[in-house]
Amino acid sequence: MLKTLDPLDTAVLPLRVAPAPALARFTLRIDPASRSMAGQAFGVSLPERIGALSQEGDRRAVQLGPDEWVLYAPEAEGQALAGRFRSLAEPHSLVATGDRELAFLVEGARAATALMAACPLDLDAMAAGTATRTVFDKVAILLVKESGERFRVECWRSFAPHLVGLLAVIERELAAGL
Amino acid sequence: MSRFRVADRGRIERSRTLSFTFDGQRYQGHPGDTLASALLANGVHLVGRSFKYHRPRGFLAAGSEEPNALVGVDRGPGRYEPNTRATVLELFEGLKATSQNRWPSLSLDVGAVNDALGPLFTAGFYYKTFMWPKGFWNKVYEPVIRHAAGLGRAPDKADADTYASRYAHCDVLVVGAGPAGLAAALASARAGAKVMVADEGAEMGGALLSDLSSRVDGVPASQWLADTLDELASLGTVTLLPRTTAIGYYHQNMVGLCQRVTDHLANAPSGAPRERLWRVRASQVVLAQGAIEKPLVFAGNDRPGVMLAGAARTYLNRYGVKVGERALVVTAHDSAWEAAFDLKQAGIAVPAILDTRRAVSDALLAKASALGIETLLGWTVSGTAGRLRVSSATVNPLGPSGKPGAGRRIDCDCVLMSGGWTPSVHLFSHSMGKLEWSEALQAYLPGEPREALRCAGAGTGVFTLQGALETGVEAGAAAARDAGFAGDAPRFAAQEEAASAGEAKADLPSASGSAYAKAFVDFQNDVTAKDVRLAVREGFRSIEHIKRYTTTGMATDQGKTSNINGLAIASGALGKPVPQVGLTTFRPPFTPTTFGAFIGYAKGELFDVTRKTPIDSWAERNRAVFEPVALWRRARYFPKGGESMEEAVRRECRATRSSVGIFDASTLGKIEVVGPDAAEFLNRLYVNAWTKLAPGRCRYGLLLGEDGFIRDDGVVGRLAQDRFHVTTTTGGAPRVLSIMEDYLQTEWPDLKVWVTSTTEEWAVIALNGPDARRVLEGLVEGIDLSPEAFPHMAVAEGTIMGLPLRLFRVSFTGELGFEVNVPARHGLAVWERLIEAGRPYGICPYGTETMHVLRAEKGYIIVGQETDGTVTPGDAGLGWAIGKAKPDFVGKRGLARPDLVASGRRQLVGLLTDDPGHVLEEGAQIVLDPAQSVPMKMVGHVTSSYWSEALGRSIALALVENGQALHGATVHVPMPDATFTAQVAGTVFYDPKGERLNG
Repeated sequence: MLKTLDPLDTAVLPLRVAPAPALARFTLRIDPASRSMAGQAFGVSLPERIGALSQEGDRRAVQLGPDEWVLYAPEAEGQALAGRFRSLAEPHSLVATGDRELAFLVEGARAATALMAACPLDLDAMAAGTATRTVFDKVAILLVKESGERFRVECWRSFAPHLVGLLAVIERELAAGL
Repeated sequence: MSRFRVADRGRIERSRTLSFTFDGQRYQGHPGDTLASALLANGVHLVGRSFKYHRPRGFLAAGSEEPNALVGVDRGPGRYEPNTRATVLELFEGLKATSQNRWPSLSLDVGAVNDALGPLFTAGFYYKTFMWPKGFWNKVYEPVIRHAAGLGRAPDKADADTYASRYAHCDVLVVGAGPAGLAAALASARAGAKVMVADEGAEMGGALLSDLSSRVDGVPASQWLADTLDELASLGTVTLLPRTTAIGYYHQNMVGLCQRVTDHLANAPSGAPRERLWRVRASQVVLAQGAIEKPLVFAGNDRPGVMLAGAARTYLNRYGVKVGERALVVTAHDSAWEAAFDLKQAGIAVPAILDTRRAVSDALLAKASALGIETLLGWTVSGTAGRLRVSSATVNPLGPSGKPGAGRRIDCDCVLMSGGWTPSVHLFSHSMGKLEWSEALQAYLPGEPREALRCAGAGTGVFTLQGALETGVEAGAAAARDAGFAGDAPRFAAQEEAASAGEAKADLPSASGSAYAKAFVDFQNDVTAKDVRLAVREGFRSIEHIKRYTTTGMATDQGKTSNINGLAIASGALGKPVPQVGLTTFRPPFTPTTFGAFIGYAKGELFDVTRKTPIDSWAERNRAVFEPVALWRRARYFPKGGESMEEAVRRECRATRSSVGIFDASTLGKIEVVGPDAAEFLNRLYVNAWTKLAPGRCRYGLLLGEDGFIRDDGVVGRLAQDRFHVTTTTGGAPRVLSIMEDYLQTEWPDLKVWVTSTTEEWAVIALNGPDARRVLEGLVEGIDLSPEAFPHMAVAEGTIMGLPLRLFRVSFTGELGFEVNVPARHGLAVWERLIEAGRPYGICPYGTETMHVLRAEKGYIIVGQETDGTVTPGDAGLGWAIGKAKPDFVGKRGLARPDLVASGRRQLVGLLTDDPGHVLEEGAQIVLDPAQSVPMKMVGHVTSSYWSEALGRSIALALVENGQALHGATVHVPMPDATFTAQVAGTVFYDPKGERLNG
């Protein structure tokens, strides 16, 4: 009999799921017309397309909606950052959401396959260096494709055990090689 | 080697032998066998009893269309599966299969008496025979029928297997890996498209797997198949999925595939799922599902040994198995002639080829003659004989008028039949594409598609190999082009024994008029040609009605082998052409699919999300009993020693009212409303007035729908001029957030205000009781906790243990209360520190049950318990919350509706039972006069009811018509065992003046 042929099976790199280091995280809502002012306050100009991200050093901004961005910075800089936005004259909302979310890094040659076990998007076609809101099983997630084999997955804290538990099952499934 | 194996044919791996059992009897087969081919290799044809008549049945087919050979497979505890088709069940070492629907044994089945009673069991027999006496249906007839008729027994243990799912995206999905599908895949893949190929078989190749005579581009078909699969696999852009059934075609080219991952393995690797459900989104789809051979309908066509000619050819050429030693071939189509020639050349006696047609091609006749096979043209079959296996058939010449003449008996141990081929249009039909009737082929063919799909091969009525390859290439190249990939379409040249003419027969003319003769149309549901004609005589006209009345096509095979025959017979009986009789609808799944495949990962711990708070682990360590609240699990109470819930709750209530209780309120919904128009936004959304609420102060907020009914509530704190911390109910949090976003985006896009969910940003610890402040003092910095500086309904930001703190002075118990909000990751540490700090005061952790009792003692409502979507603020006694001077808010106009201002509305009241020890049942109905006859006029119902430890008696809240005017009146609560009386009271049972809040 012929062997089952699946080009995915030729991958040898393992799948790794690990918690991402904690970062200060803010949800920024502001009229896109004031984007550049917000970028000045943040220190990194804000991306101009939903799903795009901009990064300088260890600060990163991700655009999630027409007037919504997520801002990341090292934990120690969180307070100072909030202070700078307090003096931003343009109407806006900056809310700390660093404790709301837990983030995980899913890495390896099978990372996209693993996530597509429960995420309906085409993660192979998703461009590296972009982000999207989507779902993983029943969990709303923010997914950043850092590179072809490296994804950052964020979800609300209480959903994390479900997400991690499911990824563990998928990890075993992929390891079985069938 | 068994005497039914042929040495030089078949793709089985002869060097290895597999042992298996069927009904406890041990047999041997080879890798590459199905259970069906292995049993046939051992001379076993009898594999089941039929659904209704318990007639002995054997294999009809060799593929997934098999209606008869359904077996139970036992793979160990929790791994029993009934109704598996033996024809697709791959053999593995140690396979244990059993036959079904027989007692006490397959060869001696008591239920077979039904066969003799046949005339009783005609179409609609359920409705005719068992109408009287009426009460007997449920108790006697139905259970007996259900026991006697049916398929396998349902598994009675939890499924021990795991299942997986996966989404996939591709440019071109090809369903079916026969010659047409493979040609399509090659054409698409060579153009550069990302291709997926799914085939239900263990091996890809379809008809090529049993084609020993054809050649493609000069090489044998089997060689072309191997080369093609190699090329596809080597491209790196092609995913080949054998053992994968396309079960359904859904909107916008979403196709469901069920992949059998481990069923064919004796030992599956750990972690491997049994099956995987793929949800494939394809920009283009090519359907190359092939065709299914039609049985001929004649008396005794269901006897073991009577099977489709194509199946016999497959068993011979693919599995190296002779289905018998003396094969009578009965056909209305050329393809069975080819089968006959193959069998004869393999050494099987073929006493005759009987064709209902009066003429066939000279080439066929010449070949038959060369092989020494007698041919009977213009003949029919009028019956078969043999108890558990066919032993002879009676054949009759058809006279000039079509009437059968005198019969002749032909001895045989198998009858191979063919009524031609039915293109498989199942998935095309799922996709809502329109089918067109081909008069020439007497078959339905795919017409104009509704999705981005193309059909190719036998599924379009093209029955030659050359035609399959050409239509496949054409479909594959076009699909790739439409997906954005242009390339030169490959060309293939096939050399084949092309013979594909035939005639369509409804059922064969029969010499016998016996009431006991049964010519089966639907083998799985035991429906005969006579049943279909009876349905027509009784007035059924539409095939949809005939189907339901006779149950033809309604078995687990969805009529794959029977629909067209049933339709042809109905068409003849009605005297109307087939297209006017209609066609029943094909529905997913294409073949029976396990529940496990649909469930995927969602079992056990992963069945659903269980949200846990940051403090959940402490509650678990301290033996909390949990309850689900929305997706959350919350600590309900903390029993000590052998305490019952009632005892634990009484203790928790006492401690909280007398010293201090601590409660995990982290699940409370939280929304941060920020922007210069924040107060205006809340003014428009909530009933309350917000403009004058000063920063540092809180207010109870009430949210209505436009209809004026209560939707949600919660305390709202103003942190700054432009920043509010809104709390919602636990279950209402997502709903309130989306209501807010909805109004902001659609009604008031002009407002400069934004909402962000912070439910999970903060862990919330509620401290309640006269000692609450003492616990916090010494831990909180930056906030003066004195009653003067930080009164009831104050909010402030500070630190606790050096961590950011939002402190609320609020109470859901009526006691001095604080809600400590800290960043979620620190929730557990702060909780543990507070427990420690509270030890001198006997701090008591309490759960949701105590929380419910304490708030009920104060008459605080719970949205969803006191309210049910029909309760207004006035009904709930919360009219005071409405900002009377506000020009508008959501629900303001709704509240002015005549029904909402009319008298007689159900209003929230307290109830005190005459028997202070009796706790009413929540949900119990209330009447004013218990002496009424049933049904009584119900004036309301109990919404909350508890034992109040503080009052030493029971309390209840209830919604009662005109309740607020009934103060002091007696109402009655009739229950099955007794009627209870209660006095209507106010809703605040404890500390009505609210003095304890200010402690």
